[in-house]
Amino acid sequence: MKRSHLIAIAVVAVAIAILISASSDVTTYANFEQAAQKGDRVKLVGQLVQDKPVEYNPEKDPNFLAFYLRDDAGDVRRVVLRASKPQDFERSEQIVLTGQMNGDTFEAADMLLKCPSKYKDEEVYVRSEKE
Amino acid sequence: MNYTGEHLFPGQLGHLCVVLSFVAALLAGVAYFLAVRRRDTAAFEGWRNLGRFSFLLHGLATLGVIGALFIILVKKYYEYQYAWANVSDDLPFEYTFSAFWKEQQGSFLLWSFWHIVLGVVLMLRAGKWEAPVLAVVALAEVFISSMILGLYFGDYRLGASPFDLLRQTMDAPIFAQADYLSQIKGNGLNPLLQNYWMTIHPPTLFLGFASTIVPFAYAIAGLWTRDHKDWLKPALPWALFSGAILGLGILMGGAWAYEALSFGGYWAWDPVENTSLVPWIVLVAGIHTNLVARNTGYSIRSTYAFYLLSFVLILYSTYLTRSGILGDSSAHAFTEMGLGMQLVLFIGVFSVLGAALWLARRKDVPDMDTEEASASREFWMFIGSLVLFFSAVLITGATSLPVWNKIVQAFNPDYVGAALKDPVAHHNRYQLWIAVFISLLTGTAQWLRYGERNTDVWMKKFVRHIALAAGVAVALSALNALWLNISAWQYFTLLFAAMFTLAANVDYIISFIKGNLKQAGSALSHIGFGILVLGILGTGLNKEWISTNAFAMEGLIEGMGGDDLNKNILLLKEAPMPMRGFEATYLQDTVERQTRTFAVRFKKQDGKGGYTGEAFTLYPNVMYDRQFTNIVASNPSTKHYLTHDIFTHVSSLPKAELDQEFARQQEDSLRFDPYEAIVGDTIFTKKHYLIVDGYTKQPVHPDYKPEKGDLAFGLKLRAFNLDDSTGFAAEPMLYLRPRQGGFTLPANVGQLQLRVRLTEASMGQWLTMEEELAFQEFPMKEGETVDFNGYKIQLAAISREVDHPAYAPQTGDIAVAANLKITAPDGRTDTANPVYMIRDNRPFSLKDEAPALGLHVRFEQIDPQTATMTIAAAQASDEQRRIPIEIAENAPRSDYIVLEAIIFPGINFVWLGSLLMLFGLGLSMWRRLRM
Repeated sequence: MKRSHLIAIAVVAVAIAILISASSDVTTYANFEQAAQKGDRVKLVGQLVQDKPVEYNPEKDPNFLAFYLRDDAGDVRRVVLRASKPQDFERSEQIVLTGQMNGDTFEAADMLLKCPSKYKDEEVYVRSEKE
Repeated sequence: MNYTGEHLFPGQLGHLCVVLSFVAALLAGVAYFLAVRRRDTAAFEGWRNLGRFSFLLHGLATLGVIGALFIILVKKYYEYQYAWANVSDDLPFEYTFSAFWKEQQGSFLLWSFWHIVLGVVLMLRAGKWEAPVLAVVALAEVFISSMILGLYFGDYRLGASPFDLLRQTMDAPIFAQADYLSQIKGNGLNPLLQNYWMTIHPPTLFLGFASTIVPFAYAIAGLWTRDHKDWLKPALPWALFSGAILGLGILMGGAWAYEALSFGGYWAWDPVENTSLVPWIVLVAGIHTNLVARNTGYSIRSTYAFYLLSFVLILYSTYLTRSGILGDSSAHAFTEMGLGMQLVLFIGVFSVLGAALWLARRKDVPDMDTEEASASREFWMFIGSLVLFFSAVLITGATSLPVWNKIVQAFNPDYVGAALKDPVAHHNRYQLWIAVFISLLTGTAQWLRYGERNTDVWMKKFVRHIALAAGVAVALSALNALWLNISAWQYFTLLFAAMFTLAANVDYIISFIKGNLKQAGSALSHIGFGILVLGILGTGLNKEWISTNAFAMEGLIEGMGGDDLNKNILLLKEAPMPMRGFEATYLQDTVERQTRTFAVRFKKQDGKGGYTGEAFTLYPNVMYDRQFTNIVASNPSTKHYLTHDIFTHVSSLPKAELDQEFARQQEDSLRFDPYEAIVGDTIFTKKHYLIVDGYTKQPVHPDYKPEKGDLAFGLKLRAFNLDDSTGFAAEPMLYLRPRQGGFTLPANVGQLQLRVRLTEASMGQWLTMEEELAFQEFPMKEGETVDFNGYKIQLAAISREVDHPAYAPQTGDIAVAANLKITAPDGRTDTANPVYMIRDNRPFSLKDEAPALGLHVRFEQIDPQTATMTIAAAQASDEQRRIPIEIAENAPRSDYIVLEAIIFPGINFVWLGSLLMLFGLGLSMWRRLRM
């Protein structure tokens, strides 16, 4: 057998090994119910429930944020993130979380906010007076 | 509707240039294509000249587009959507560039610009390769210029024009008015991008992007003309150039993220970062096989493949960042503009072109009769390139999950989609082994020779040097293990491998090329890689959050566990807070334009309850939007040391600082009790007492920015706890601003939870105080002195230089100031400069006062005939005034910040290593050009 064939076989073997081992790094998108069923870490997309309280009290603990999120299926659950509250939090259109369910609470390890672009689609800003 | 004040010419000119640039690029592509087809006939020169002409025309037209857009931005023509969305009257000129390439169209233009520059250089230098190479560049330019065409074919829009008018893109009632332009102003540039990095990073990165087309085009040219060997020589310096510049662009992105954004690091394995790194990795693999091919004739096919792939990956990265597909997985991508299909076509055409040509000519590429010898340099360099390629495949695969999801969902709408649980951990775990292999290979392969078959002769020398490098690497690893917190064997392996390539390549420079640095390009790059890995280990493993105080936070936190979750600390104003190894004090905040800067003092603790004497102040800031209602950016502040950095940023603020509505509600819910302030007196509240020290007309307040024409008034107070003698200054103020009205700014004494404010009644009281003055008039000549109640007032001079706090100059004003010297009966002296002015044919008088003496003076009249001025004086009796104020106790504290502070040890190894790596690439390029 030629050595280039050996190398090709080795590359394919390593690739398969990596694919198998990396499959545990991958998770799927889920809603609260599916996350509870899986019990594993998932990605979850939803919207902040504006009329429920956002709990962030830095005087007590700057690393604790809790809020309510509505998932794609319409379920509302409490979400806890042990980090400081991002500055644009209340204005977010969509929240993408990575984490798992713990009882009735979703424990997020990571959060990504999608905010309306600050300078797009805003109303035309009219001068309040002639300058 | 006939709109007034619009400047339609630049837009029309720009649009004409866009169309011309597209057509000329198309023509250039066709002409060069035909020139290649007829390269051995007499028709060649004619087609080539037409290609040159049209490419240059394309260049001129593109410059025209850039110029037109630039004029629109510089002149702030808000009738254009691009100007309205990206600039504003108060935007400093230097950020016009940032505004220019902030949007997709501007960045496409930047990319195009570099293609044209490179194209012209190629025209002058490429010789016989000019026609095929420029045919490829011109084809890419056809696609890029189509992105900004903005032409409609039925309902389909081809490209997004940067010259769209605001009234065409937006439906608002204001456009029913012919003079709408006089009523709108620009939105301005996102403060996050008002940053010098935004000025230098995009041009560098886009030059990097643009330059990858040159190796690609040479590869196409080689395959096309079946000249599989000649192209390898001219392609190599271009690939080295591209590697250096693209690498620099990526590095600048990392430095920007680290220095100016609050990401808390220089690399986050974000999809946008990954997809710009991957083409670079593949390009570097191509550079290595190119060297092999030049020296031995092996690996020509892989060189083709790597160069072709590198540019296609650049296009893929463009697609990912610009199509909006990364929405869920990336923190930073362009706004989607409906160019997705065009971008897919762009990638499609170039990947099919590359792949088809490569497959068709595969058998045609000259091959060597035998395989490379196991002990030859070419074999191990090829293996190294394969490892790099593997790294690229791994990163691309994981980063492409959103694309994969979209493809599957097109066939199966129920598919939920997959995503990485923890991208950083995933990539680190696999790339670690890539780095180990690369380090070992770069350390070893340098000592092998091209085409080596006679291993016995070299084996001794080889083994000696490798053993030496391994020994030094063990020693260096042990040394570095002293400061690195390494716990896992994988990291030890990586550390050893990095030190090995460092030692082996230093040895190579010393004993093989005898310190001839001109030849040391590759060795320097490899040393740089080793140093970079060391830096990554340091910043990754030893990155330490010092903004924690387990003791102070203990018990306060529900369900809190794990030290690592504790990354933020709350700092109350002026209250020293111990945290890991430091004592931090939030001293003060100041506001300038839209930026609020916080001063935080750090004192290093010696661990025995004292201080080491080392202390410094950092100034992290936050930027508000133009309405001052929301925070749009939190900018870090970093203390640099040679061995480590201390990185801080404000991760959260009191809600009252973030949300004005909330602040208003909070203010309304407070109970304010009325009191009266008399200068010199003391006010007693339930829990506190306040001493009234006096009043001022130049009050200082963090939220107050004085403007000319303001009438401002502040009360100077000192507040105490009833049982304490520590006084805290408080200065509530109010001001009247012409045409805007009156504003009151309360003083907060956070430490006492006290809020003091002046009210409308105090404003009324203060104004009456001014009105009730009884003025006595004195006609005077320059130099004269009069007596007023024992005060001697001398009219020292009349001056045209007017500097009065209430005077804002306007054209047409005639204003003069009277410089008065006043001596009190007890001998104290003071000066005052009242102003007399004529504006719009009407006389005005601006009062001044000698506060130390309690005297108010006015300059009432000038009689030009007799040169007599009328000065009026009045004595104030403010001291007895009762000024109504309101005081609330138990006000919630809003004088704190939540801070994140991180130590990055070895960060300078990251910068040094990367720069050395890029310098090596540049040096190699320079040497190849000289050869």
